[in-house]
Formats: sequence, structure tokens, C-alpha cells
Amino acid sequence: MSSSPLFGGWPVTRFAYALLIGVVGAGIVHIAILFLLPYLAERDAWSRMAELGEVHETLMIEGEEANRLLANPDPLFLAAACRFDLDEGPVRIHAPDRVLFWSLSVYDRMGQNIFSLNDRTASEGQLDIVILKPVQMLDLRHAFPEDFATSIFVEADLEAGTAVIRSFLPDESWRSRVGDYLRSVSCDPY
Amino acid sequence: MIHKIFLIAFALSIAIGGGAASAWMMIDRGFGFGAVDVGAWTAFPDRGTPAADPYSRARFARQGYLALGQAEGIAFTAARDTLGQPLSSSCTYQVEGPIPPSRLWTLHAARQGNGGLVPAGGALNSLAILRREDGSFDIPVSRDPHPGNWLRLTGTGEFALVLALYDTAVATTARAVDVQLPLIRRLACD
Repeated sequence: MSSSPLFGGWPVTRFAYALLIGVVGAGIVHIAILFLLPYLAERDAWSRMAELGEVHETLMIEGEEANRLLANPDPLFLAAACRFDLDEGPVRIHAPDRVLFWSLSVYDRMGQNIFSLNDRTASEGQLDIVILKPVQMLDLRHAFPEDFATSIFVEADLEAGTAVIRSFLPDESWRSRVGDYLRSVSCDPY
Repeated sequence: MIHKIFLIAFALSIAIGGGAASAWMMIDRGFGFGAVDVGAWTAFPDRGTPAADPYSRARFARQGYLALGQAEGIAFTAARDTLGQPLSSSCTYQVEGPIPPSRLWTLHAARQGNGGLVPAGGALNSLAILRREDGSFDIPVSRDPHPGNWLRLTGTGEFALVLALYDTAVATTARAVDVQLPLIRRLACD
């Protein structure tokens, strides 16, 4: 036995040693939970959207769904969203029409915002964006499709992700126009 | 022998219990890391992006929200007036003062929902604001109708104001700390 002082028959240094290991272990567990949680979260935006529709399907995100999916949902905006899978090829997000203001964000599989733009960044205010992996960009350079002449290319190191398009609703009379615009957004693999 | 088993169990319970509990508490409470405070208003420009701190990243993943991108805009929220009193639906407030340059902005009343703030009550936008000759304006916020730019409140209890700026240069942390935002003055209470 060690020569440490006894506390009720227990060696105090051993007790302190166990306490120290416990606290260090708690730190490790704390950090592990912190960094694993984003990967393990089951109720993330992706899985919530999977309940609403298919991959590459444009969904209107309104009312309750907007409150559940969007941070600070704005009552003067309408939003549409689609999930995309780049393993099926580059995805093109395109709308034929124009509206007063739109903005778009691309999120990775974990729901982190990795890219955003608005209609002023886009050519002639038209929504026409191609999201692709760097290797798909290389392939595309060899045989550039003419359809993509005015598209904005977003190279992203993603397998899959989500795109959200928001559009401004100045007043109720715009609701059907802006709603039709967002429903016309296509989100198809090329 | 029994000492050893006890000490190991002791160390393990501190490690797992303490680590999980402390991680849970810090993530659930969401200490405002990365917050930008301007007067009564608060924004989280990095929240929901890869630049966010691990705590808000874990919290965000659990809530499953999609955040506004930098090129889209930034949302400031206020749960208290300029003097630090909680905003109450039974009071009348006046929102007045400068709003940073942006293509458009919206102001709406909100309430705490299950996870975040959800719209409750009226909403105004920059295109439909009545201004004085010098371009300045004020917004009465009340349950009772007011002339001018009345922002309607509904229900009882506490509420929050959300000021969202779209297509603005102040959507980054570095720029957001320097902005000037409107004052929220309490005029009277029922």
C-alpha cells in the first residue's frame, strides 16, 4: 500500500487521481459530443425535407414548414427549396421568369451555408446556376454545352446538398406571381 | 480490489456524466458566441456557416435550420427596448433612426416558437414606408392602430422585433459591428 494519508480508510491520493482522470475524461467526452453532433443530428434540414419531397424536386417552404426549416423566416418573403445529389451529375437551378428580388443559398449536407448570391450578382437578374464538383467542371470544360452560356458556375466539394431560393413579397397582390415564379424553379441534374 | 472498482466507476461516471451534461448545457443554452450586438439589436452573421464556433454549429445542427447567406442579407433581432426592458405586447413602442444601406429591408414582429423566432403580427418593408421630407421615418409598434407606419402587434406577452436587411454590405461580422440601427423607445403601456 502507498504511504498516503487515509481518509475513512481510503487513500486520498488515489481518490484525487480518479477524480482527475474523471475530469479529463469529461473534457474528452464534451469535445467528442460537440464535434460529432453535427454529423449525428437526425432532425436536420435534409431529413426534414426528405419527408416533404424527393431529391431534385422543388418544394415551396411556407407557413409551418418555413418556421421549422428557416432561421428567422420572413413573412414578406416566399421560399422554395430543393435537395440535390451531385453524384447524378451537375445540378442546374434555373427559372425562366424574373421577379423583384431573389436570393439563393447553397447548403451542404449538414445544413451549413457554403455559398449565396442574389439577383444582382447574376447575369441580367436571371436565376441560372449550375452547381458541380471540381472534377465535373473539368469534364465540362472539354465539351461546354451551349445551354450553359449565361449560367453561373458554383464549384463545390459536395456529394449532396440543399438549395434555397427566397423571393421578396412586397404585398399580398404579389403572392401568386412570386409563388408561380418559385414553383417554376427547376432543380434538375444535367 | 473493491477500492479499484469503485475508483474506476467513479472516474467513468464523472467522465461520461459530466462530459455529456456540460456539452448538453452549453449547446442547449446557446451562449451567444459570435453575436454582434448593436444597441438593442443582435445578429449572428456566422451562424449556420462553416465559420461558426463549434457550439453554435452543434446547436444549429440539432435545430436543423437553414441560415440566411451573406449575399442574401442579415437579420437583426431585438427582444428588449433601447433601455433594456423586455418588449411587451401591452406597450406601444416607437422604432426610429437610421437603417444601414441595403437594397431592401423588412421589419416584423415575432414570438419565440419551439426552436427559434416565428413571425407573429404585422410586417413592414422599405418600399412601403412613409417618409418625412428629409427621408427619415418612424414606426409605431402597438396592438392599437396608429397613423403612419403602424406595425401591428397581436396576442399578449413578450415579443421580439426582427429587422432583416437584404443585399447589404453589412452582412459580415466585421462590417456589422460598425452599423447604426434604429432605437426602440417605449412610449406607453396599457
